[in-house]
Amino acid sequence: MIGEFIDGPLWYFSITAFVIGVVWRIVAIVRAGLKPDLSIARGSAGSGAVRAIFSRFVPERTVTTRSRLQLIAGYMFHVGLLVLLFFAQPHVDFIAERITGFDWPAVPHWVFIVTAEFAFAGLILLWLHRVLNPVTRLLSDLDDHIGSILVFLVMLTGCLALAQSHESLRLLHLFLAEVFLIYFPFSKLMHAFTFVMSRGYTGATMGRKGVNA
Amino acid sequence: MRTPAHHKTVPHALGVFGIYLLGLCLLLFSTLVDAQEKQPKELPTVQMMNPAAEFWRDVRQRSAPVSGKTQVGGVETGVLINATGDRWRQFRMSQLIPISGYILGGMVILLVAFYAIRGRVPIEGGMSEHKLPRYTGYERMIHWFMASIFIFLAVTGLILLFGRPLLIPVLGKEGFSILASASKEGHNLMGPLFLLALVMIIIQFVRRNIYQKGDLSWLIRGGGIIGKKHVPSNFFNMGEKTMFWLLVFVGGLIGVSGLILVFPVLGLGREIMALAHVGHAIGAILMITVIIGHIYIGTVGMEGAIEGMKTGYCDLNWAKEHHDLWASKAEENGEALSNQEVAKMRGDRGSVPPVHSGLQESGK
Amino acid sequence: MARMKFYCDPERCIECNACVTACKNENEVPWGVNRRRVVTIKDGDPGERSLSVACMHCSDAPCATVCPVDCFYTTQDGVVLHDKDICIGCGYCFYACPFGAPQFPEDGAFATRGKMDKCTFCAGGPEADHSADEHRKYGSNRLAEGKLPLCAEMCSTKALLAGDADVISDVYRKRIINRGAAVLARGVSFQDASFRAPSNLGGKSSSQE
Repeated sequence: MIGEFIDGPLWYFSITAFVIGVVWRIVAIVRAGLKPDLSIARGSAGSGAVRAIFSRFVPERTVTTRSRLQLIAGYMFHVGLLVLLFFAQPHVDFIAERITGFDWPAVPHWVFIVTAEFAFAGLILLWLHRVLNPVTRLLSDLDDHIGSILVFLVMLTGCLALAQSHESLRLLHLFLAEVFLIYFPFSKLMHAFTFVMSRGYTGATMGRKGVNA
Repeated sequence: MRTPAHHKTVPHALGVFGIYLLGLCLLLFSTLVDAQEKQPKELPTVQMMNPAAEFWRDVRQRSAPVSGKTQVGGVETGVLINATGDRWRQFRMSQLIPISGYILGGMVILLVAFYAIRGRVPIEGGMSEHKLPRYTGYERMIHWFMASIFIFLAVTGLILLFGRPLLIPVLGKEGFSILASASKEGHNLMGPLFLLALVMIIIQFVRRNIYQKGDLSWLIRGGGIIGKKHVPSNFFNMGEKTMFWLLVFVGGLIGVSGLILVFPVLGLGREIMALAHVGHAIGAILMITVIIGHIYIGTVGMEGAIEGMKTGYCDLNWAKEHHDLWASKAEENGEALSNQEVAKMRGDRGSVPPVHSGLQESGK
Repeated sequence: MARMKFYCDPERCIECNACVTACKNENEVPWGVNRRRVVTIKDGDPGERSLSVACMHCSDAPCATVCPVDCFYTTQDGVVLHDKDICIGCGYCFYACPFGAPQFPEDGAFATRGKMDKCTFCAGGPEADHSADEHRKYGSNRLAEGKLPLCAEMCSTKALLAGDADVISDVYRKRIINRGAAVLARGVSFQDASFRAPSNLGGKSSSQE
């Protein structure tokens, strides 16, 4: 009964909340507008924005030396999570069945497992860094911790359901994923979408000034 | 007259002698014939085994391991009787499960009793005004990384070990099956991370864990339990060093045997798998027992013990009492910081101005 | 109550592997799994014998003892079955089984173990008899139809026997008794070793003159 609710209505509600919430947040940010820049452009804002969006994937030299672990763990977690989310066979099947209607090649199961290992290691290390480092602990608010723990719980229940033989374990995973989807638009988890905008904004400002940054 | 008489007696004597001789010869000959008759039975004979009996002996692996030929692929498909399985079954059911249960339960009871008798080990000089930096952020991070993975693996492993006698009566078979399946998958997935954490821990802490001069006296005095007096030690004391090396070797054993168990694709035989299971289980029970003690000291057993791992700084008095050699040297080097300084560096409540939220840059 | 047993007669088995094939076909077992296998010992040498082996449906089954989730049960016919809904695929039964009966489909990463599969004596599983679920998980349920396992039913030399343990052992006992000639061929004297029943020929002759 509760399983049917999780698998049916709650799923549609959560995915709707997710889509509407994300659109609403992005529209809100865009509608906030920018101050008119009255200076004479010395370079292209557009190319600066595009350059910044991609160049920021490569960390600065000081970052690679001073916080190497955060960098490695960060990439382990984020790349791992994206691969898990979009290229694990059960997820591909689920998305194809529920959303897109078509599927795409998934990674082999062993890649899925290795990726999960990396993502787990990255997430745990990053969260520990967050609570143990005085600076990041002060910078973190409840939202950060809820976001981290939600992602962790979704990943953990997913890993517990790996045998794909017990419906209740799948439903637990799905339920937490739904909670995650509902929570997503109203939290810092939005950075999955807004990083493009923030980087683009910085890049455009710099590009207009003719600065290669 | 005498001669003929004499002459007459000689043939008579000869005749008697001849009869005796003949009898003797007959006797000898008869024994020889007898011996000859027995001779053919001692000729070299071919020992004929009963093929049926030989076959069953091979099937049962009585004399030597025998592997037959079969069209079916897989691990040890040519072996008809797995001779080691029963030994492993007896180990698991009548030794591993009950004995490890007693060990773990006994450890908990022991600690409760110890706490009841000795109570929390206090900092005798009380909390001081100064702290010493003990662990860096990275060290604390890998410690808690290891700790979280260890606890997860221990809990899931113990569920699989003790679930049937303890949890099936509570949850029922179906309910426990869900828990067991989740435990198995989680255990298998998180297992390799334990090895990763172990490598990080070894690299970071190995130099401080090499045994030194004062360690033997620490051991003799039971780490201060005997005699109620603290034993001086360096950065890590003898107990911590022993736990470190246990973690390295026993943890390594657990990790390697776990990898053998989690990869049946390696095609290892059942004997090696069973042996890996035995090593994995014994090592894990030993490690869990030790870690229960470790957690006891950190949480309730000793005042100030967890501070270093929690905040990175430990109380100066605590350090002097428990790690005198390290603490006095660190104090000489001027590493000691006042509580205010530490609070400031850690950004504890009250030491820094509150952070205003909602100050995001806005276009308007 | 009949107690179901297999018995394979190594003097009769000709290593044709028909039992393996029949089992695989009848039960539609997963890829990589063979519930039954024929093993030849001393292949090509004197004393070569073959034996077809599967789950022996032990009275006190080691697999059931070591199973951490207690998924095994013994039916009224003495058949050892397991519940795949409860099995977690840990592999302990495979370590404990003397006969190598438990098989694991390669499932998941690095061919980790899926749910255990083994000979069911063609008795299906815990699901309702002849249900689709039962067939998908365990294969056919011939016992519920009053039939015996297909491997033994179709054995061409009747080397593999399956059924009521009392009948099986009677059949095998008679075969042993009637194997005087085979015993003679092993170099043991006829008089000493033959178990051939006396034919009551005392005093009889082809000619009375």
